[in-house]
Amino acid sequence: MGRSKGDLVIFVSKRLIQLVAVLFGVVTITFFFTHVAIPNPCYVWSGPRATQATIQQCIDKNDLDKPLLDQYVLYLGKLLSGDWSTSPRGVPVLPTILAAFPQTLELVVAALFLMVVVGIPLGVIAANNSGRWSDHLVRTFYLSGWATPTYLGGVVLSIAIGPLVGLPHSGNFGSIPTFPEPFHMSVLDALVNLNLPAVVDAIAHLILPATALAFINLGIATRMTRGSMLEVLPMDYVKTARIKGLSDFWVLYKHALRNSLISTVTVLGITAGSLLSTSVVIEEIFQWPGVGRYAFESIVKYNFNGTIGVVIFFAVGVVVANLIADILYGLLDPRVEWR
Amino acid sequence: MAEPLLEVKGLSVDYEVGAGTFHALSDVSLELPAGHVVGIVGETGCGKSTLAHAIPRLLREPPARIRSGEVRFRGMDLLTLPKWKLPLVRGTGISMVFQEPINSLNPAFRVFDQLSEAVRIRKRRETGQAPGVVPGTEGFDYSKREGPKPADVLARPLLPSGPEARKGFSRVLHREDFREDALDYLRLVRINDPETILDLYPHELSGGMRQRIMIAMALSEKPSLLIADEPTSALDITIQAQVLTLMKELIEEIRTSILFISHDLGVIAEMADDVGVMYAGHLVEYGPVNDVYEHPRHPYTKALLRSAPNQYKADGPLPSLSGSVPNLSRLPSGCPFHPRCPLAKPVCSDDPGPVLEVQKGTAVGHVAACYFSEEVAGLP
Repeated sequence: MGRSKGDLVIFVSKRLIQLVAVLFGVVTITFFFTHVAIPNPCYVWSGPRATQATIQQCIDKNDLDKPLLDQYVLYLGKLLSGDWSTSPRGVPVLPTILAAFPQTLELVVAALFLMVVVGIPLGVIAANNSGRWSDHLVRTFYLSGWATPTYLGGVVLSIAIGPLVGLPHSGNFGSIPTFPEPFHMSVLDALVNLNLPAVVDAIAHLILPATALAFINLGIATRMTRGSMLEVLPMDYVKTARIKGLSDFWVLYKHALRNSLISTVTVLGITAGSLLSTSVVIEEIFQWPGVGRYAFESIVKYNFNGTIGVVIFFAVGVVVANLIADILYGLLDPRVEWR
Repeated sequence: MAEPLLEVKGLSVDYEVGAGTFHALSDVSLELPAGHVVGIVGETGCGKSTLAHAIPRLLREPPARIRSGEVRFRGMDLLTLPKWKLPLVRGTGISMVFQEPINSLNPAFRVFDQLSEAVRIRKRRETGQAPGVVPGTEGFDYSKREGPKPADVLARPLLPSGPEARKGFSRVLHREDFREDALDYLRLVRINDPETILDLYPHELSGGMRQRIMIAMALSEKPSLLIADEPTSALDITIQAQVLTLMKELIEEIRTSILFISHDLGVIAEMADDVGVMYAGHLVEYGPVNDVYEHPRHPYTKALLRSAPNQYKADGPLPSLSGSVPNLSRLPSGCPFHPRCPLAKPVCSDDPGPVLEVQKGTAVGHVAACYFSEEVAGLP
């Protein structure tokens, strides 16, 4: 046997070491981008009616008069010590993100779930009926999702479809559960508290934003599944499964899909990362209290510390999503070795 | 004689691809009595594999299209059976061993997962937990085998007894229940150390080993009919010999009905009771294997036999046939062989071509599709 549990541990630790390098790069790039683009944001931070004295005070407080490299070293030192600084208004960055990020994670996981549960079977159906009307229908469906601009899908769902089907939509999010929140994820929190009505309510809130997020990216899962299923279906082992007397369902969803999923999972891993950034738009449209909205606000209000903090979380999300995809890849295909 | 296990009547299959319509099978008819081994021999592209795949309806439709015909298996016409019922016939009814053992096992599952799946399907059908063709008794005589293993497989009660019986038929069968059966079948195909093999993935096994597992998997469902589609063609020569020996032993031990497809005349001679010779999608001759080989009644069979390198002659190249196999999308009119046939006369190109006719002065059941079959013996 080529693989052992030890291999997996080594594989994961290697990736986590890589993560440190990735984070360093991400922080550096974001820091210089923001600070070079807007060398002195104090004019904005202090407001239009600020006096020269307040602006000078702000510059002193944020070390903005020091050389850029010194600012960078200072900021890096603070980051490493766990102090992620504050927003211009003095709200600490890290606690804000820690409270908001799980909300985004919940949204992204829900969208991924929809992509897997809807997108993959659609791909299987399309591949199994390739060239027939159901195939064309599925392809039209996912291409229309793919071709839809992120904001448009969200806006349509939020303004038109949300009120139509009576689901909570933009501006109607007043009923978010308010009991103690150990995870900051409304569905999970409600589940932990065994509060069934809250679970239903939380899921109802999730449906539209998650659908908006999933619909746009559904095409990737469906298309990859369809493509690799078309490659797998003529294989001899699919014939073997058929000749065994298995029904079409098991032939398709056990024997064929298991081998097709290998490429789908890889792509889903990459997509999961990009879902985080897509969520910026979706959260803004649906007023979802996640980190995407915080990112949007930070950028608009020149909140550099907030922007860098969000970017760090997104980078971790992307790396971890790909790591999970790679682990799944190995689990799906026994020929793959983790290295 | 009782109804044959498998009866193919006038089966015609086309492939419709961009380049045109290819007539892969034209009006093929044959009967396979229970317990017989029927060989199908012919060149590459003559429709052998299409025939093998068309019987359990494994052809991908499209591009394949079954134009006409009937495939009667244990009284059922498989061609008119609704699609969802086909899995009920496969496995316990008709099972198959494919050409390429490298591709025929699923790379994502362990040998045990795949083998136990087959055993599970059979057991669930035998106990009535799942619908499907129950393995027939015809052609299954494990008693000839001396070793205890296959007999054990059969002798083990189908229905649980003792405390298990009280739980009744609905007792859910678990994977581990099939471990012993899986081991039995691996031993049946002469695999050493089956316990280790069971937990391996296909990519960790050699081609010959995988083909043995395929054979074990097919047999573990106790099919009424086993179709072997060139089971040794993709193996290298020593492994080929081993697998052939195994299949030959198994044929003697388990008198199951087998449709054996091969391009190797020697293999067919060893394995089969009856042989069908195919050319360009047509069955041109059919009969008991010894009779067909000794007294071929179709000029193509004669030419095929003559070109087989069965003795190593020092002088000159092997005899070969002039011309080449016709394009299946543009078959010649009448007899498909007439453009290359030394006996061809104008009548040979008239439609419809010759049909299989009983040959006088040969063994019972020997048929050939040639107007001048009497003259074949005179050919060089």
